Amino acid sequence: MTTHLEETYKAQPFMDMIEGFLHSTGIDALMNPRANEMNAHGEPISDFHKSWGRVIMILITFLLFYLAIARGFEPLLLLPIGFGGLLANIPLAGIGGDTGFLGIIYHMGLSNQLFPILIFMGVGAMTDFGPLLSNPKTALLGGAAQFGIFGTLVGAVVLSEYTPFFDFTLQQASAISIIGGADGPTSIFIATNLAPELLGAIAVASYSYMAMVPIIQPPIMKALTTDAERRIKMTTLRHVSRLEKLVFPILVLVLAILILPDATPLIGAFMFGNFLKETGVVDRLSDTMQNALINIVTIFLGLAVGSKLAADQFLVPDTLAILLLGIIAFSVGTAAGVIMAKIMNLFPGHKVNPLIGSAGVSAVPMAARVSNKVGMEYDRTNMLLMHAMGPNVAGVIGSAVAAGILMSIFK
Amino acid sequence: METNLVVEGVKFMFLGMGAVFLFLALMIVTMNLMSYIIHKFFPEPQPSVKSTVAPQEDNKKIVAAITAAIAHHRQG
Repeated sequence: MTTHLEETYKAQPFMDMIEGFLHSTGIDALMNPRANEMNAHGEPISDFHKSWGRVIMILITFLLFYLAIARGFEPLLLLPIGFGGLLANIPLAGIGGDTGFLGIIYHMGLSNQLFPILIFMGVGAMTDFGPLLSNPKTALLGGAAQFGIFGTLVGAVVLSEYTPFFDFTLQQASAISIIGGADGPTSIFIATNLAPELLGAIAVASYSYMAMVPIIQPPIMKALTTDAERRIKMTTLRHVSRLEKLVFPILVLVLAILILPDATPLIGAFMFGNFLKETGVVDRLSDTMQNALINIVTIFLGLAVGSKLAADQFLVPDTLAILLLGIIAFSVGTAAGVIMAKIMNLFPGHKVNPLIGSAGVSAVPMAARVSNKVGMEYDRTNMLLMHAMGPNVAGVIGSAVAAGILMSIFK
Repeated sequence: METNLVVEGVKFMFLGMGAVFLFLALMIVTMNLMSYIIHKFFPEPQPSVKSTVAPQEDNKKIVAAITAAIAHHRQG
C-alpha cells in the first residue's frame, strides 16, 4: 500500500497546496465559474447559472423554509424539497448529478414515477369514501373542478401560439395544466412523463398552491355565491355499510380497467391502499402505508424534486409562466366546482351548498376544510366538512382520470 | 404542415372533460346500483330495537338538555 501511494502521490510545495485548497472552496467556485462544469444532464451551463443563479436559488430555498416553518405551508413537502434544492445548488459537489445522492434518489423513484404511485397508495389507505358513498351525486363537483386542468391547457397553448414570450409544446402545456388538479403526486407523475425538464417548477408550484388553498379559494367562492346559497343546509349523510365501503374501491378500479386503463397505475395504487384499509383484516399493512411507507417516500420524493431546483433548470423564464398558469388553473378549478354546484341546484332534488363545490379540486382535506370554514362564517351551525369530503375525494379520482387521458393522448 | 396548437388544445379539453364526466357519471350510477343491491340483499344486522325503548324518560331529559344547549349556542 505505502509503495503504491508513493508512486502516485508527488510531494507538493506547501504554497501550492494552500493555493489548491483556495481554488477548491465554494466561494471561489461561485466567483469564478468552472468552464468544464456540466449540469445533471451533462450539458454545459451558462456562467450566470453557475454563480449568481446558485446564490439566488439558495436564497429561494431559504424562502421555502420560511414559508414551511413560520407560515405552515405544507411543511411535510416543502422542507424536503427546499433542502433538496439547497443541496442541488452546491457548486463542485455535484449532489444532484447522476452519481450524487440526490441524483441517485431521482433515478431510483422519480424518473420512473415510482414515488408518486407509492404516495397514492398511502393516500388511498388514508381516504374514507363514506361521505361520497352516502351522497354520490357530489362526485360531479369533483369532475367539474377538473376544468381547471383543461381550461388552463387551452390557456397555455394560446400563450405559446400568440405571444412571443412562451413556447410550450402540447406535452409541456399538459404537464403544466395538471397543476389545476391540485394533486401533488398526480402532477409529479404527469410531469415526469410528459415534461421532465419542467418537473421542479411544476412540483413547487403545485405544492405551494395547495398550501395556499385557504388564501386562494375563499374570495373566488364568495364572489360566485349569494348569501342565501352560502347558508344552504344539506341533508344529513346516511349511514354507509361496511360492505359498500369494501366493494367501492374494486368497483372504481373495474370501471377504470374498462374505460381508461391508462389511469390504472394511479387509480390501482389508490384503490389498493383503500381496499386494504377497508377490509379491516390487514391493519398492519394499512397502518404501514398510512404512516411508515408514506413518510419514507415523502422524504425521497421531496429530495428528488428538490434536485430539480438546480439554478440552470429553475431560473428560466418558463418557471414564471408555470407559476402564473398554475394559479390560474387552481382558480379556474375552484370556480368550475362552485358553478357546477349552482347548476345542480337548478334540478329538483336535495339542494347542494355551492361552497362544497370548491372542494372538487383535490387538495385533500384542505379544500374541504376551507368549504367548512367559509360556511361557518355565514352560519355557525352549518357543518359542511363531511359534505365537502365527497367532492374532495371524487376530485382525486377525477384528476387521476384526467391524468390518464393525457397519458393516453401522448402514448 | 403547421398544426394549430390552440385547436389541438380545445380538442383535448372536450375529450378530457368528456371522459372525466363520463367516468364519474358511470361511477355514480354503479355506486347507486351497488348500494341498492347491498341494502336489499345484504343488509347490515340492525342493533336490537327494544333496548332503546326502555329508558324513555331519560331520553326526554337528554333531548331537553340538547335542545337547550343548541338554543344557547345559537344565541351566543
